[in-house]
Amino acid sequence: MRARLRRPALAALALLAGGATANAATANAARPTGAARGSGRILVVGSQVAPPTLDPTVNASAAIDEVVDYNVFQHLVQLQPDGQVVPVLATAWTTSDGGRVYTFTIRKGVRFSNGDPMTPADVVFSLENVIHHPKTFPYAADLGATSARVVGADKVAVTLTAPSWSFLFDLASYAIGDVLDPRTVSRLATDPIGTGPYTVTGEVPNYSVTLGLNRYYWGTKPGVAGAEFRYFSSADAEDAALESGQIDVIDNLASPQELSTFRSNPSRYVVVSGLTNGKVQLTINNAAGPLSSRLVRQAISMAIDKKTIIDVAAAGLSVPIGTDTVPSDPYYIDLAGLYPFDPAKARQLLARAGYPNGFSTTLTLPPYYYAQLAGPVVQSELAAIGIRAKIDNVQWPLWLSQVFEAGDFDLTIIDHAEARDVANYANPSYYWHFSGARQVASQLAAANAAPTRHRWIAGVRAVLREIARDAVNDWLYVMPDLSVHLKGVVGLPDAFYTESFDLTHAQFGGSIPARLAKAGYGTR
Amino acid sequence: MASFLLRRLLTLAASLGVTSVAVFFLLAVLPGSPAAVILGTQATPGAVQAEKVKLGLTAPLWDRYGHWIAGLLSGNPGVSYISQRPIGPQIGQALSVTGPLVGLGLTLGLLGGGVLGVLAALRNRRVSGALLSSLGQIGLAVPNFVAGILLVIVVGVKLHWLPTGGFNGWSQGVGPALRQLALPALALGIAEAAIISRFVRSSVVEVLQSDFLRTARAKGLRLGQALVRHGLRNAALPVVTVLGLELAGLLVGAIVVEQVFNLPGLGLLLIDAIDNRDIILVQDVVMLLAGTVLVVNTLVDVSYRLLDPRIGLDA
Repeated sequence: MRARLRRPALAALALLAGGATANAATANAARPTGAARGSGRILVVGSQVAPPTLDPTVNASAAIDEVVDYNVFQHLVQLQPDGQVVPVLATAWTTSDGGRVYTFTIRKGVRFSNGDPMTPADVVFSLENVIHHPKTFPYAADLGATSARVVGADKVAVTLTAPSWSFLFDLASYAIGDVLDPRTVSRLATDPIGTGPYTVTGEVPNYSVTLGLNRYYWGTKPGVAGAEFRYFSSADAEDAALESGQIDVIDNLASPQELSTFRSNPSRYVVVSGLTNGKVQLTINNAAGPLSSRLVRQAISMAIDKKTIIDVAAAGLSVPIGTDTVPSDPYYIDLAGLYPFDPAKARQLLARAGYPNGFSTTLTLPPYYYAQLAGPVVQSELAAIGIRAKIDNVQWPLWLSQVFEAGDFDLTIIDHAEARDVANYANPSYYWHFSGARQVASQLAAANAAPTRHRWIAGVRAVLREIARDAVNDWLYVMPDLSVHLKGVVGLPDAFYTESFDLTHAQFGGSIPARLAKAGYGTR
Repeated sequence: MASFLLRRLLTLAASLGVTSVAVFFLLAVLPGSPAAVILGTQATPGAVQAEKVKLGLTAPLWDRYGHWIAGLLSGNPGVSYISQRPIGPQIGQALSVTGPLVGLGLTLGLLGGGVLGVLAALRNRRVSGALLSSLGQIGLAVPNFVAGILLVIVVGVKLHWLPTGGFNGWSQGVGPALRQLALPALALGIAEAAIISRFVRSSVVEVLQSDFLRTARAKGLRLGQALVRHGLRNAALPVVTVLGLELAGLLVGAIVVEQVFNLPGLGLLLIDAIDNRDIILVQDVVMLLAGTVLVVNTLVDVSYRLLDPRIGLDA
């Protein structure tokens, strides 16, 4: 549920902008830079939430990683759009001590964008920085490491607290894997220095971040002169900017309703609907009155038609899920059919639970578009089986303090954006108050300690089935990431399993190598 | 006169003080904490508490208020909770957008409203006058964000005459910067012109019926000459007062228009700060807005009494 905050658009704006589908000519008098097509041009990416700081080590905002992860900071291993973990600042790795120790061979000849050479000691510094600041470093717990040390001339050994089949994935996915230049960490907030293809050259807070090319970059230079992320507080302003050619790409449309404008003009726009790790779910407070009954939760699951929700909240561009996993997970199982949409059966379950006349409850909605769109559907579907849900719209900080921190809610709709976060079900104090958390904790610990990957997968799947049977929450669908770019911008990612908007292979026109196309970088 | 000015200044200071207390304590009771926003949803309660201590949010309210006010009085608006950057330069940057935007909007409003108002007054009780007045009514009825969107769609997206939004700063040169501010200023200026035209119209109508204008006409001046030499100066007085009051409306309008045109001004800064519970930044921006309105109103008050000797200073 990493925050990608969207401001609720003024309804009038959406209507008007939707009606203004411009068959705009590609020629464009309004482009302020006046730069020509070709590699001499800067790629301008529109997005919605500006990074509050550029320091990913102190703030969990996804907007920071969108810009700096992979583009400015690189990891030992990174995730391709096809979900593969590939070596980047490491060239190889081995495991030992039953999977508790990972030894990475560090790539030679890599320099930071300020010219400092990147050494194994810098890698150790970066990992120790996570290990020593577990409270204020976002996602520090996902590293699960106790120490990192230099072994030999070009190797770094990382010792884990326990064997983990997710370590490489976590190292690739989150900012905990960023390799920092120790000499520059005091300036991370405004001047982040990494080894990636880009370096930050300018920033107007809340408005734009400009990236120039890193002249010391060790890999193939991107086919653009640089990049600018520009932030739009209104979706309509963002759409108008793409339509008039002031920006080249929109990363993550504010709402699927905007799609019609771009879909109707395929000769000018390419719409990319990529899946993410996000699980949009109706979170149920398992400790709140009638909701503590498993039968009631199962009734809720059967009362809600996932297909309708996907049509309304995701323009039909997603797949339903039935437990805490998405298709890109190694342990994915499809349990979407466990509680088929059946209001009659749902009413029977409610009656069996002792609520033949239903009950009243509250549905607390954060300001995100999917929650705002899905909320009224859920409300009316629950009403059909007698559950009277009052909708309570709250701002994001209030959602965090009231729902997430205090656990003071009945029902809420939220995207759990973190990858492979089934461990949340092992936490008895997590905000949905799952009563079987302790049992899940021991099951998961056993699964993670499994000697083979196959048995790890089987162990996690058992947990996923368990929480689905208990209907802890009602998992609805995989959060899609809908992006649009002008035709001819190639090399952009076509799936979004990290928060990074990876511009490593971006270029204007031409074609990209076949291996990149196969890895999930766009060719149109 | 001196005692009048002193009283005005004391009133101003008291108003600012009350405003600061209201702003601070209203925001202090707002639920939601910047610490939780910073750490996101994997944070433990212990981590949130540690972050609150780090940000100084656990100190008693009066201490925090005193610290904030002392900073403001010494010219230091503090450091943002969320970005950990000094707030002064951020507000300065935002003002370099909002200031010119409000200035341009006001100028357009004055020019448009002045011309429209005088014309409507001269054609008073005629069909053309009624048409001009109803034009003003329409301008008043269309919210500036709707005007803004229409301008974006027609002028920006369809015609490609002007950028649809964004602002790349004054360093790009005055010409390109003004081009980027043209549509937003127009969106802001339309409603302003409508408001001002109504005041100008009624003021000019009143002047047209006044004795001194009839005297001027009797001396042999044509209507236009009489109006320019004697009428407009008198008609301008109430308009000047209205301008001061309109500044508040323009500032609010600018916040909305900045959203539509995606300009990195005070509006964007304020709304982002509210979304993130960057309370100290919200306090500073709201104080700046409230302070501007209070100071301008005081200035208008003073200048009004100076300009029009009929109004007693003791009133």
